[in-house]
Amino acid sequence: MVQPKKQKYIFLAFCLVPTFIMFSIFTLYPMFSGLYFSFFEWSGSSQTREYVGLDNYRRMFNDDIIPRTIYHDYFLVATKVVGIMIMALFIAVALTQLKIKEAPFYRIVFFFPNIMSVVVIGILWTFIYNPNLGLVNSGLEAIGLESWTRPWLGSTTWALPSLVLPSIWAGIGLFMLLLMGGIANISKSNFEAAEIDGASEWQQFWHVTLPLIWPQIKISILYIVITTLNGSFIIVQVMTGGGPDNSTHVMGSYLYQQAFNQYNFGYGATIGVMILALSLITVLLLQFLLRRDKVEY
Amino acid sequence: MKTKKTVGEMVARTGIRIPLVIWSLAVLYPLFWMFLGAFKSNAEIYANPWGFPESFNYQNFITAWSDYNIDTSVFNSLIVTVIGAVLCLALAIPTAYAIERLRFRGSGALFTLYISAMMIPMVLGWIPLFFLLAQFNMLDSILGLGVVYALSQLPFTIFVLTSFMSTIPKSLEESAAMDGMSPYGILWKIVTPLTMSGIITVTIMNAIQFWNEYFMALIFLQSSENYTLALAIDFISNEAQYTNAWGTLFASLVIAITPVIILYAIFQRRITKGMTEGAIKG
Repeated sequence: MVQPKKQKYIFLAFCLVPTFIMFSIFTLYPMFSGLYFSFFEWSGSSQTREYVGLDNYRRMFNDDIIPRTIYHDYFLVATKVVGIMIMALFIAVALTQLKIKEAPFYRIVFFFPNIMSVVVIGILWTFIYNPNLGLVNSGLEAIGLESWTRPWLGSTTWALPSLVLPSIWAGIGLFMLLLMGGIANISKSNFEAAEIDGASEWQQFWHVTLPLIWPQIKISILYIVITTLNGSFIIVQVMTGGGPDNSTHVMGSYLYQQAFNQYNFGYGATIGVMILALSLITVLLLQFLLRRDKVEY
Repeated sequence: MKTKKTVGEMVARTGIRIPLVIWSLAVLYPLFWMFLGAFKSNAEIYANPWGFPESFNYQNFITAWSDYNIDTSVFNSLIVTVIGAVLCLALAIPTAYAIERLRFRGSGALFTLYISAMMIPMVLGWIPLFFLLAQFNMLDSILGLGVVYALSQLPFTIFVLTSFMSTIPKSLEESAAMDGMSPYGILWKIVTPLTMSGIITVTIMNAIQFWNEYFMALIFLQSSENYTLALAIDFISNEAQYTNAWGTLFASLVIAITPVIILYAIFQRRITKGMTEGAIKG
């Protein structure tokens, strides 16, 4: 213990420096380097890298596919938020408030898709939508709705909406648990008081449950938005690859196609900058819109 | 007014169950059917895609295992999962400890930096990372992918571990220091064992994540002998459009999902708790 101060710093450095160096190399550097790449025209080999200023950004604003990818992303965001929140809320309320005996079974089953690989989910659902063998078309035929059958993922109109169901299917469990946690924390006396005042169960839901689990609802919505904007391209890539005719391309899958299939790395990075900017703006905007005074009874 | 349950209320209770049962079927039936499909011959899949197989045959598994190199990809996935999980812990434990227990200037800022990396879309970083790995000779390498995986889960791991470490009483570390134990000893012999529950939780979740991961593997691996399970399955799936080897595809899906099911069966509580807590803060 001659130089405790010095020893303390050495230990601190031992704890922090190696991790931070690795984090800088593999996370921080690539992020900033991506910004830098967006000002270059680059097909991968070092000789051909050429500074083009804002050309990639100009190209992006004139690219007809870009607005479609943005629309597709936000279509998935909106449908997922609505679908997952309604179903997760319903399930969470049903499993906590209504004293259903087999509730643990439902909880375990509904959560499971959350830990499945997107590849497994995507392939499974591709088969469910299969025009000849799939469950959807066979089911429609079985109940006499032959006219409704269609090649779901092969249709430019129906491919994108078809991606919503697997995303909801895979996402509900986590948010169900989040909301159940919120409901479990509501004190019983709130419901008792509401009951004495003669509130129906529906009124209790609107005026007691919903305001009191607002923090959880807010977190869930934000989380769905962030994970969709940052990750929807994975299921797109597995199920449709962006097709048919670009009708399901989202920003991330278009980036992948531009950068890693067509070797426009500079342009791909520009799309990445757009994804980053849009998701930051969206999250800030949502946080502003969803702010609401904390309710306490 | 609540004491007498009307018939209408009873009907409503049963009515609530109907959507729950339907959704359970929607979750379980496709999985169940995937398992059945894995035991069917191709002819049977075409004749009777949604029913029971006439006899259970293991041919699909054998074909997947030997003809489609699933054996190699299972091995690759295992290696990449282990490298990712171990490296992630090795990097996260000391930093989590330092941020949580050693007061130093900027510890809050450092924590915020790591945590905000959880919310940033990583797609942008993948392009430079591709060239970085190429420079390090780690492109198309299981080791390289393992390192990338470890770093991708580092912020989440630090976040979970700091919150676990904050629950350990400080007195244990203090008395160990009084007995003359070095800070390294305290970290390794006192703090790490006491955080074991958190370490196990986060490692299970990381391992599932790495085992399942698809997109980074797609970008950073190229040759088929390096394919992880997710890539191999994607490959079989794309081929099946032409070869119609659906049975083989289902068999490989079953191989991919079985370890996850087993982990979920054993650690269900840990996994659900870890994920919900991660989401609340993240």
